[in-house]
Amino acid sequence: MAEEMKKYLHEIMSQIDGIHAVLITDRDGVPVLKAATESAPELALRPGFLTTVGMATDQAGKLGMGKSQRIACIYGKYQVIHFNRFPLMVSMIASSTANTGMLLGLEAELSSLVQDLKAAVDVI
Amino acid sequence: MGCCFSNDDDKGSQVGDPHERTTLLGNPVSNSSTRPGCDDYGSGMKYPHNQRADEQSALNRILHETATNVIDVSAMNSHLEQHEYLDRARQYNQRVAATAQKYTYPQKRPSLLLDLPATEKNLSASPIPQKDLKLLKSACENAVNALQEIKVQHQEELVVQFGIP
Repeated sequence: MAEEMKKYLHEIMSQIDGIHAVLITDRDGVPVLKAATESAPELALRPGFLTTVGMATDQAGKLGMGKSQRIACIYGKYQVIHFNRFPLMVSMIASSTANTGMLLGLEAELSSLVQDLKAAVDVI
Repeated sequence: MGCCFSNDDDKGSQVGDPHERTTLLGNPVSNSSTRPGCDDYGSGMKYPHNQRADEQSALNRILHETATNVIDVSAMNSHLEQHEYLDRARQYNQRVAATAQKYTYPQKRPSLLLDLPATEKNLSASPIPQKDLKLLKSACENAVNALQEIKVQHQEELVVQFGIP
């Protein structure tokens, strides 16, 4: 069942040091699949945070450089990376010291999973 | 490529999507053939109603495009009610569970660069013995020497004459 998918997410997370959570949500921030460790900040897992990011991505697409593909925000303690995979959003929450390049590189590894999940979301 | 006059994929986005150089009043009004000009002022007066409707639709389109392009931070609030959120989450769960039944675990691709979760463990590991190091070095030196000694021996003439009188 979905546990297998979560297991895969956890396995990907284990490859990179400092990653706290991987969330695949729709544009409104409703989680489709998520995997998080205990160290993940609760705020970043809330729908309000994830919705705002989805909207911010749309707004950032209006800046004149075409649609935004990825957003990386680095805060004091955490960094949050988003991939825009319409109609889904992939959000990764990691420690600010985690390797950002490695996190961005996960997009390719997650692409097949996201593709499978897209089919589930498109029906609704 | 980003060169001037290049014909690559950027073209599509520049033609279709609005961008920083898109003029708001460029296409719909000024280029419209029904716009009253000096030359066809008389003919324009004959169809004032149609013309007004065209202008109105053009203006509406401009207004709509502008509204779409405006970066509106106040629209950042979620419109999703709590029960809607829960309903949708439940639906997703069901759908994902159905999808997961035929889900195949993706094959892990080999990667040259892997992040090491516990760096201190690797750094504190005992170094390789000197004997192995010597063996490695000598093997490498032999390989380098062998590579340097590769020579091409020509057997035949490189330039051949084709029956030139």
